[in-house]
Amino acid sequence: MKKFQLGEFEEIVLLTVGVLYNEAYGVAIKEEIQTRLKRKVSVGALQSALRRMEKKGYLESRTGPADKKRGGKPKRFFTITAYGKEALQHSRDVRVDLWNSIPKVALDLKIV
Amino acid sequence: MIKKLADKAFKWFCNPEYYPDIRGDLEELYNNHLKNHSKWVQLRYLMDVLLLFRLSLLRPITRNSIIKIKDTGMFKNYFKISVRNLARHKMFTAINVIGLAIGLASFLLIYEYIRFEKSYDSFYTDADQLYRVSYVDVVDGKDGVKDAMSSYLVGDVLNRELPEVVQHTVTKQFDELIARSGESVFKEKRVITADSNFLKLFDYKVLEGDPESMMAQPLSIVLTESRAKAYFGSESAVGKSIEVIAPQSASLLVTGVIEDVPVNTHYKFDILISDKTLELIGEHDYKNWDWNNYYVYLKFAEGANLDGLDEKLAAITKKYVDEENETRLDIHPVRDIYLKSDFTYEPEVLGSEQAVNFLLIISIFILVIAWVNYVNLFTARAIDRAKEVGLRKVIGAFKNQLVGQFMFEAFLVNLIGSIVALIIAELALPVFNQLVGKEIVTNVWNYPTFLLTLLNFWILGSLISGFYPAMVLSGFKPITVLKGKFRTSKSGVNMRKGLVIIQFAASLVLISATFIVYQQVNYMQHRDIGISIDRVVSVTVPHSNAESREEFEQYISKLNSFKETLKNHTAIETVGATSNLPGGSDGDINATTTKVKIVGRTELLDGTTYIQYNDDEFVEAVDMTIIAGRDFDRNVKSDSVAIMVNEAFLQRFGVDEISGVVNQKIQLGTNPENQWKIVGIVKDYNRTTLKIQVEPTLYFPSRSARNLVVELEAQNYQAGLEFLEDTWSEFYPETPIEITFLDNRFELLYDHDKRFGDVFMVFSSLAVLIAILGLYGLASFLSLQRSKEVGVRKVLGASGSQIIYLFYKGFFYLIGISALLGFPLVYFLMNGWLNNYAYRIDFPWLLPVLSLVIVLVFALITVGYQTSKVASVNPAQTLKYE
Repeated sequence: MKKFQLGEFEEIVLLTVGVLYNEAYGVAIKEEIQTRLKRKVSVGALQSALRRMEKKGYLESRTGPADKKRGGKPKRFFTITAYGKEALQHSRDVRVDLWNSIPKVALDLKIV
Repeated sequence: MIKKLADKAFKWFCNPEYYPDIRGDLEELYNNHLKNHSKWVQLRYLMDVLLLFRLSLLRPITRNSIIKIKDTGMFKNYFKISVRNLARHKMFTAINVIGLAIGLASFLLIYEYIRFEKSYDSFYTDADQLYRVSYVDVVDGKDGVKDAMSSYLVGDVLNRELPEVVQHTVTKQFDELIARSGESVFKEKRVITADSNFLKLFDYKVLEGDPESMMAQPLSIVLTESRAKAYFGSESAVGKSIEVIAPQSASLLVTGVIEDVPVNTHYKFDILISDKTLELIGEHDYKNWDWNNYYVYLKFAEGANLDGLDEKLAAITKKYVDEENETRLDIHPVRDIYLKSDFTYEPEVLGSEQAVNFLLIISIFILVIAWVNYVNLFTARAIDRAKEVGLRKVIGAFKNQLVGQFMFEAFLVNLIGSIVALIIAELALPVFNQLVGKEIVTNVWNYPTFLLTLLNFWILGSLISGFYPAMVLSGFKPITVLKGKFRTSKSGVNMRKGLVIIQFAASLVLISATFIVYQQVNYMQHRDIGISIDRVVSVTVPHSNAESREEFEQYISKLNSFKETLKNHTAIETVGATSNLPGGSDGDINATTTKVKIVGRTELLDGTTYIQYNDDEFVEAVDMTIIAGRDFDRNVKSDSVAIMVNEAFLQRFGVDEISGVVNQKIQLGTNPENQWKIVGIVKDYNRTTLKIQVEPTLYFPSRSARNLVVELEAQNYQAGLEFLEDTWSEFYPETPIEITFLDNRFELLYDHDKRFGDVFMVFSSLAVLIAILGLYGLASFLSLQRSKEVGVRKVLGASGSQIIYLFYKGFFYLIGISALLGFPLVYFLMNGWLNNYAYRIDFPWLLPVLSLVIVLVFALITVGYQTSKVASVNPAQTLKYE
């Protein structure tokens, strides 16, 4: 079960990188998460999650051209690797599996 | 501004691989915020940066780490090369490591000792505000006798008159108590009286009892924790009583228990007695300004300005004492007492600032000698490493990198030395504690201050010892070095010679100093002090408890018959009695500042006169010499107003013809009734340490002096002692007997000095050992380097001894210069030390010369051993590659 380790925040970041496809760099990811999830994200938390997942092999990155707006610093674009996709898939499968295993009654009762 | 700082910090801690794009993100966010006119943009930026401080984003430690070391790859290489070099030259490494380790261990132990000596009385909460009042006699405008004690009155008066003084306490060392608790009898030597303020100034923790009231009643006592344990075990002591048998029988109520008094205070005690008790037994005088029997301590307000205090004190003295009195009050910080006091009547033997300074000098000498070894051996070996340096440079090493490499090596060697030093210090600690006579620390390996000092000196030592070799080695020019025509530079050789001279000079100073200290101690122990006490023992008869005239007479007659019984035994020659036994501390004497005159000869003279009370056999028992007149005689009625004086007393009055004074009268004070007839004049004798001159002393006759001196017959020594013990238990069965040998008392006086000599001996031997080790290594390298020269010389016909002489010549010359440097230094240091003693040896010039010979012999053996090895090699061996 330890095969794919994906924290909740990591999963969100990974998904967002997928959403942004070719345009996924720090600020864009941050803003995307903030607008979609209405949740504050610090640069530190985001960056450390990105680097961690890059090290694990879920993400890969390339450096863009230097940008004047960014004080002459380049952007780093992230893309999901195949392995990353597998991890996402796995995490999703687990959830779906869990959802399906909940007896109908339990959920119904909750609604009532 | 904040942004800039935050940037700098970020750049410093962030992994350089991640830095550019994250920095870009930050910048973009910052600009976005600016555009949206958000508040606190800069602070937000800072917050972001702070939140970026995460383990996963930090610079890695090993590579491109936070500490700016750029090429760790080279460090691995340096380490490897250093270790290989150290392993290849095992002798060189051993000499360096042993030298550094012994040097560091000695230095650190001494340093710990010094720190301990300086820590005296600094543990009270308001230690810096505590001061002690003492009396200084002023004779003809100059300071005379300085008495650490003052009178009871003074505390009260100063507290009232000086607004700066917040509190005061008055205390006194009490007589020895003999107390009984159940079956066991305790002898309490460290008893002091104290008032309610005492524990406010000296704030020892009160474990039991009410600190406010426990000193309020007479006959109440406070015990230290360990004494309370001794009397009552684990039970609570408060409310119980202790039965005292001597000096008077009394029942004392325990009102409190406090923590044990540490070693590092000048005023130690085990038991506090409420000072109201003194009133009860009549040992008090609260009104007399001159009754100097108390220690008076003041607590000044925080930050009180003590400028102009002397004038205020003078004014107060004038106000309270009649004009004639010529004493001055002196106020000293309590923290300074232990090391700096030059007062008499101190509560215990104090430390000496000079001894502490001397030790510091020794320890620095040792350390420097060890560092010098490193420098010398390393630069002497420079040729070995020159090719390596050349090659590194050719490949492209910068000078800085080479400096770094050799500094690294210095750090490595020093680190090994430090670790060995820690082991040595730990192992040597029991010996060291014994040597200095105190337990300073029990373990060093878990003692943080020690470890911190070790760390500091590891770094400092590496920098000092590594700097010069690193500069020399990294400065080689690759072309000359690799061409093979390399010679050590002239300046390098001179530097090395200079360092060797320093080592020799330091060794010379230490050896001579050791000899001189021993010589002085020996002199003091064997000097004729004017009395003969080899066969004299002493016992002290209990106090009189007399409450009436009759009881006192009974006490006296018992004392007399005790003396008579002893004397009648064949093994006992004489029994005398005195108020102050010879061989006591310098304060063990009575004194008065009353003016004195010889009637009809001189006016009343100021100054302190010392007083001793003897019976009519004391002079005979200790073999004092009477140079004119006679001893007291109990059969002469008029001898109740007889007096004896010593030569020093007559010198003070400028009397030349001694016999003329016999039968003249001495008047004490202005009252013409108070006159005493001089019956005899005794030759000066030293009653205490030879640091002090013989004081002008008056000897009064006494019937009740209770310190008995018993002169035993040489043949029947043992029988005499046994008889003394038996008779004692017959006469004074209540009190345990305590026999002291007078010569032992004198020995004890020089305990400190002897210990000082021992410490000197041990550490100077170590210093010399390290220096010789260094010389051994140096000689071996130099002779190896000159092996080809030796080969050529031998081929040309030089004999082995000629070659050895050639090597000796260089060292002779160095030792000569070091003697020129060392002799004046020894004279300067040790003559100053000798000046502490009133009776001292003349500066013994022979001893430095002797030390020089010792250094010379050691040097010749070391150098000779190394050179003879080279000189005996067949030249074919050394020259075959040419």
